[in-house]
Parts: sequence; C-alpha cells; structure tokens
Amino acid sequence: MRGFNILLQKEFKEAWRSWKFLWIPLVFALLGMSDPLTNYYMMDILNAVGNVPEGFEMLVPELMPVDLLQASIGQFQTIGLLVMMATFVGIISKERANGMATLFYVRPISFGAYFMSKFIVMSTVSFVSIFAGFAASVYYTSILYGTLDLGALLVSFCTYYVWLLFVIAVTLMMSASFKTVIATTCGFTVIFLGQIVDMIVGMFWTISPWKLPSYGILLARGTMEMLDYWWSVIITVVLTLIFINIGIMMMKRNASSTKI
Amino acid sequence: MMEELAKVPWAVIAPLIIVQIILMIVALIDLRKIHATNGPKILWVFIILFANLIGSIAYFIVGRKQS
Repeated sequence: MRGFNILLQKEFKEAWRSWKFLWIPLVFALLGMSDPLTNYYMMDILNAVGNVPEGFEMLVPELMPVDLLQASIGQFQTIGLLVMMATFVGIISKERANGMATLFYVRPISFGAYFMSKFIVMSTVSFVSIFAGFAASVYYTSILYGTLDLGALLVSFCTYYVWLLFVIAVTLMMSASFKTVIATTCGFTVIFLGQIVDMIVGMFWTISPWKLPSYGILLARGTMEMLDYWWSVIITVVLTLIFINIGIMMMKRNASSTKI
Repeated sequence: MMEELAKVPWAVIAPLIIVQIILMIVALIDLRKIHATNGPKILWVFIILFANLIGSIAYFIVGRKQS
C-alpha cells in the first residue's frame, strides 16, 4: 500500500473541488424530503392540479412512519443510485481516456492502493449522502406523521449502506475494466436489471444482494427471517470483496491502454 | 401581511428553500470558476436560475466538463 495516504488525499481534494461532497448529499436530502411531503399533501396537490370532480372522495391509506421510510428508500434506489453511479462511473476510465492516469502509472504506486483510495472516497461520499437523505426523510416524517424508532432506523441505515458498498464496488470494477460508455452500460445493467429481475422472479429465492434494501425495511418492521438476512449480508460483503479484487486486477491489465 | 407569513408552515417549507438556495449558489460559484461547460455558459446561468431544483442538479451531472 505504497503512497496510500497521498492518493487518498488527492482523491478527497478532487471530490471536494468538484463539489461532490456538497451536491450529492443535497440531492439525496431532496429525495428523502419528497415522499413524506407529497404523501401528506396529496389531497391539496390534487385540488391544486384541478379536474377533481365534485364530491370526489379518495380513501387515503393510513401511513405509518416506516412506510414513508420505505418510500424514501425506493427513491434512493432509482434516482439516487442513478446520480451516484453516473457521477462516479468515469472515475478510473476517464483518467485513462484523458491521459491523467499516465502520470500515475509511470510512478511506482501500487494499484491496490490507488483503487482503494477511490473506493474509500466514494464510500465516504455515499455515507454522507444517505445520512443526509435519511435525516431529511426522518425530519419530515416526524413533523408530519410521527416519530420512528431509533434502533429500527439504525438497522435499516446500516443495511442500506452495505448495499451501497456493493453498488460502489460494481461501479468501480466496471470503470476499471472498460471505457466510460461501456462501463456505464454494464454497471447500470447489473444494478438496475438485477433489481427488475429480483422484482419479477425474486420470490423463488430469499438470499440475494438486490433484496438487501427491502430487507432493511422488513427488519425495521420486525417481520424478517434473520437467517435469510444474515446470509444476504454475508453474500453481499463477499461479492463486494471479490469485485474489488477483480477491479484491481483489471486496472493493472488496462494500465497499458492509457492515453499518452 | 405578517399574519399571512405566520400562517405558512415554516418547519415544512424552510429546509426545502434552504437546500434550493445552497444548490443554486454552489452551482453559480462553480460556473463562475469553471473553464468550459458542455454548451454555452450563459444558457447554464439561465437554467440554474429558472429551472429551480432540477436546474442546478442537471448542471452538476451533465454541465461540468471534466478534463
């Protein structure tokens, strides 16, 4: 792990200069806010949009605070992941394409340290982001609906973070293996197509990384088979580690394809 | 006027406004400092100012040219 600290500092500085530490958390905060607000003001929104017939009555289901947390996590799962992956997918391949990587590869740095410094920066950004997102969601839920149990919240937060680490590992592996365009396609395919497949035929198995976000909510509700949960967590962590190793390998192999 | 203002649920509105303003200011500062953007710069100024939340986010995702 030669020069790990220096590389880490470089990555943090870069993320800070491009405002990633500021705007990605703000986007997540907005996503967290949107669901409690729109659900609470649904009747007002319908009235304001108009075309509600006279005497129209809608039976709005009684929402529990956990339901809103689930809705917010659903938002993170689509738009949040999209933003996160789109901003970070070029983190290795773009450096290769514009020749900046050449400046690093001629030096005796270890590829493991280089890859891990990027991984750590991404996971820090995503930690801050989902912290902001959860905080915004919980703030509005507690104002408009009612308070959430702190333990349940912590559990679903940690579970979601494990899932995000998996997403980050996939993104970085793709970025190390391919050019930016192909990496974007492959990364999105693995994450989003995996979710869709899991939604459609996912009832036949109970252990998969893609199920982890919904398991966090089930855990908060208290209706979760603990055995399935732990196996899913273990498999996700193992897959994350494997993807990191593949990423480091691919980075080494593709070092020669950098533009000079 | 003051009664009208007092009737607004500030605990609900204020965080949204704050997030919106921070995003807009940061996007504008970044736009001021950056060398070149995807598309004309003046267009991004208008997008950030008038397409309120979406504009600044769109600027950060597609507007910045990294090199």
